[in-house]
Amino acid sequence: MRIEPLNSQVVLGTKTRLGGEARPIFVRALPHLARYGILLVPILFVVTFVLIPLVQTLLHSFQHISVRGQAEGFAGLKNYQVLFQSPLFLQVAKNTLIYTTISVILCVVIAFLLSLLLEANSNGRGSRVLLISLFSPTIMPTIAAANIWLYFLTPRFGLVDRLLAWVGLGHENWLGHPGTALGALILLFVWKYAPYFTLFLLAGFQAIPPEVREAMRTEDPSGWYSFRRVILPMLAPMIAFVTTMALLYSVESVDPVYVMTQGGPNNGTNLVMFYLYQLGFNYFSWGPAAALSALLLVGLSTLSGLSLIVMERRAFHWQ
Amino acid sequence: MAVNAMHQFAQVWRGLKWLGFALIALLWGFPTVWVLYEALFVGDKKIGFTLKNFIDAFAAAPFSQYAVNTFVIVIGLLAVQLLFGAVVGFILARYEFPFKSLITAIFILQIVVPIYALLIPDYQILKSFHLLDTKAGIMLPYAVSGIAVLSFRQAFRSVPRELEEAARLDGYGMWGIFRRVYLPQTIPAAVAFSVISVTYHWTDFLWPMIVSNTAQSRPIVVGLAMLAQASESGMQWNLLAAGTAIVILPVLLIFIAATRKILNAFSHTFNW
Repeated sequence: MRIEPLNSQVVLGTKTRLGGEARPIFVRALPHLARYGILLVPILFVVTFVLIPLVQTLLHSFQHISVRGQAEGFAGLKNYQVLFQSPLFLQVAKNTLIYTTISVILCVVIAFLLSLLLEANSNGRGSRVLLISLFSPTIMPTIAAANIWLYFLTPRFGLVDRLLAWVGLGHENWLGHPGTALGALILLFVWKYAPYFTLFLLAGFQAIPPEVREAMRTEDPSGWYSFRRVILPMLAPMIAFVTTMALLYSVESVDPVYVMTQGGPNNGTNLVMFYLYQLGFNYFSWGPAAALSALLLVGLSTLSGLSLIVMERRAFHWQ
Repeated sequence: MAVNAMHQFAQVWRGLKWLGFALIALLWGFPTVWVLYEALFVGDKKIGFTLKNFIDAFAAAPFSQYAVNTFVIVIGLLAVQLLFGAVVGFILARYEFPFKSLITAIFILQIVVPIYALLIPDYQILKSFHLLDTKAGIMLPYAVSGIAVLSFRQAFRSVPRELEEAARLDGYGMWGIFRRVYLPQTIPAAVAFSVISVTYHWTDFLWPMIVSNTAQSRPIVVGLAMLAQASESGMQWNLLAAGTAIVILPVLLIFIAATRKILNAFSHTFNW
């Protein structure tokens, strides 16, 4: 039944094209020109703000760049060398690796557990309070979430310290030590994003056909077998997508660093995107900044390309 | 006996489940509730409902100006993105012409390349246009959204050609067909995209922070971050709580009013 419209579409298409064939070339080119004319403005936008900056960044990463941002001759791999020999960058890379790895793992695992829980109790009483609580971090900007946790973790005044004092333990400058400060950033990321990714996984659950669910309920009451053999395989693409997105988001984390720690103490929470911002706008170190941008371009584009491929397969059928 | 034990086990299990739910609600909901409480109920001396913190916050930072800026940026961007998305999506879905795949690739590039990695060159380009510290400057790099283009293209493709033929027989021109046959079919895609766009740009921080310098272009999220920076040094915590409440209260109230609707809309958007 669904083939029919497709067939007639093909026939109609060929007819039009055959009719066009007989006309002289400039007449046939005319509608094309109109289309190009309309497309020109949006294409110019993308070329100006994506394509040219992209090429410029890649070129600049191999050139000497003055403090004013002008290219001053070929530098080979000098910028990359400067970057990788800087102890600060190595520190930043280490911070980012720790932050990203722990954040992504915790986020995906907790999101998965939450989705199992919500899926099993979607019609439970009182669950509206649960939903509002759980998704309140999702609907607020990261800056607001970071403010809340900054407020929480303030020495003496913040709630965490007040609770500790109440229990009888002393106060702690949570954002004043590299380890606990990085831990606080990870906590914020998981708190903010785990429920968000839960929504994607829940959508993945919806894709499991009702017959299959019914069969699982009757044939396998303990649920372990169907969890391993049905739920996991069917959710696998969505888990892959969520993991990729979590990775992308965590590498791009800059708002909480800006609000909560400014990269400190002792650059213990300086993450890669904040470092790039510092390189460009505080140190005016444009050459290494271009090198770092180029590395991020390759890394992040690969990640978002991957998530796009997963999405295309599942949703949009873009080809 | 066994049945009784089963029954007890089920009760314990249900109790544990509720305890788990309560714990989750507490962990995720409590920080927000606490900040709202501090903003609304904790004054300088005594505890009780007060609007003083909000009045102080509005005095410390031009939040109403920030809110207007945010509104202009978010809605302006959405309008431009929808316009470009619909027109480009229509042309890509409906016509064949040379270099079509190359042009499509340009819009896919816009999706794949993160603006985060292009902050510095984009800043320099904006500077050369003399558009730093303007709302237009904040909007420009985002004006064309590849996601909008691809969503509209997909929506237009799924419109059966018979509908167009029928409209043509009824005497509609190309514009009439576009407006009356094609556009109405893309409303779900447009709504889904609007949710994504508004959420993203309302909460966006780094790019607007770099571009904006004064209250005339600064969006509310950047203003809030500035306030946090100032409060941290000056320890005006009630101010910070109130500023945060100003930003989150409106969305929180909307979310509380329409929890299920919003979550359902979301899962529809991503229900692949």
